[in-house]
Amino acid sequence: MFKAIYRIAWKDVAGDLRRRATLSSMLFFAISVLVVFQAAFEPDRKEALRLLPGLLWATTLFTTLVGLGRVFQAEEEDGAFEGLLLASVPRGVIFFGKWLGNLLLTLLVEFLILPLTMVLFNVDAWAHIPAILAILALGTLGLTGLGTLLAAMTRGARSRETLLALLLLPLTAPLLISGVQAVAAILATDGQVAPWLKLLVIFDVVYLAMTPWAFGWLVEE
Amino acid sequence: MNPAVTDATDQPVARLEGVRHRYGRHLVLAGVDLNVARGECVVLYGANGSGKSTLLALLSTRYAIREGAYHLDGLDVRHHGQEARERLLFVGHHTHLYGHLTSVENLLFFSDLRGLSVSEPQLRRALDTVGLAKAADKPVQWFSAGMRKRLALARMLLAQPLLLLLDEPYSALDTQGVNWLNAMLTDYLNQGGAVIMASHDPERVAVLHHRPHHLARGILTPLDTPRPEVA
Repeated sequence: MFKAIYRIAWKDVAGDLRRRATLSSMLFFAISVLVVFQAAFEPDRKEALRLLPGLLWATTLFTTLVGLGRVFQAEEEDGAFEGLLLASVPRGVIFFGKWLGNLLLTLLVEFLILPLTMVLFNVDAWAHIPAILAILALGTLGLTGLGTLLAAMTRGARSRETLLALLLLPLTAPLLISGVQAVAAILATDGQVAPWLKLLVIFDVVYLAMTPWAFGWLVEE
Repeated sequence: MNPAVTDATDQPVARLEGVRHRYGRHLVLAGVDLNVARGECVVLYGANGSGKSTLLALLSTRYAIREGAYHLDGLDVRHHGQEARERLLFVGHHTHLYGHLTSVENLLFFSDLRGLSVSEPQLRRALDTVGLAKAADKPVQWFSAGMRKRLALARMLLAQPLLLLLDEPYSALDTQGVNWLNAMLTDYLNQGGAVIMASHDPERVAVLHHRPHHLARGILTPLDTPRPEVA
């Protein structure tokens, strides 16, 4: 079972690194968003520190949407999605494989954009990088989990990227707010991070428990 | 009917009873009954849109059986879809291959999703058998339709399924490919495998010992001789 999950994720990540399709789009998009924010606000160091949590999560959300729009792109070729469904593994395994591949690409982008954000906005929060990355990763688990399910739902739709955004944004709003507040609490000297982390964990558990089951139901014909 | 082929035994590989399927209000299959035994090849003939591919999709578990019963190796497929998929292999119009992966990687992907423990030399031997040894490490996106079909059929050598479902298997194959496929299917049937295939090509199927059936207006009827053009 774990071998199948690994193999599906490997296929997606290796394929993307070979074609430089999704990762490069996500990175380009993330950098563009950050540059636009910087040019629009031109914040001083204090203001930038206050804006940083929102900026990071907004950039994460937009880049995740770019990645999710392409999560089933490889399966559009030569009936490959049907091939996946004919595999003798539970539907949940297929879901977790697709989710893991998308998660790894998104985490890689987050790992790259965090220091870039610090440099662009001249923010001195280098000591908090491990904690911020951990919060981003925690939130990304649920964000990509729900996103992978919605990507599967909108796979055949004509304007799937728009539909995906319309569905994902309201459903992940509580998770995003928790993520923003958790990063803000880390950056503040007297912030309470634990309650927001608990909320993030709850959202992750709920999303990742429900989505494999929903995926199995979704793909039955 | 080919005299060398026995009819269904007490333990059929696949058994369909009263299977009906509809797309919306359009009834495609109106109560299909079929028994397929080990070592037996059933060929489905019928006009375009007669429901052959739908029947294969139901047999492959891609579509759920909503009316009627389908047993594969004694398993009720309605409740044991995953176990049924372990016992069958479907090669249809689509080859289910990933263009960015090489032949070896595509077979490795298939093996891992099927839970097979196959070594790389075994994968390369399978590729050699289907005539793709030289293309083993090339991305599949550059392959011709015939090469893709051969690679899809190489999965059969790895999986050794109990039931092989083929939808127009001869399409995209050259004469040499057709001969090779028929030889491979003959070996497979001799080893006790079962085949259900949809075809429009009775001349190419003729080499195989098989039971022809005709599908029209949702009814599957056994034939004495193939009549593929009958609508």
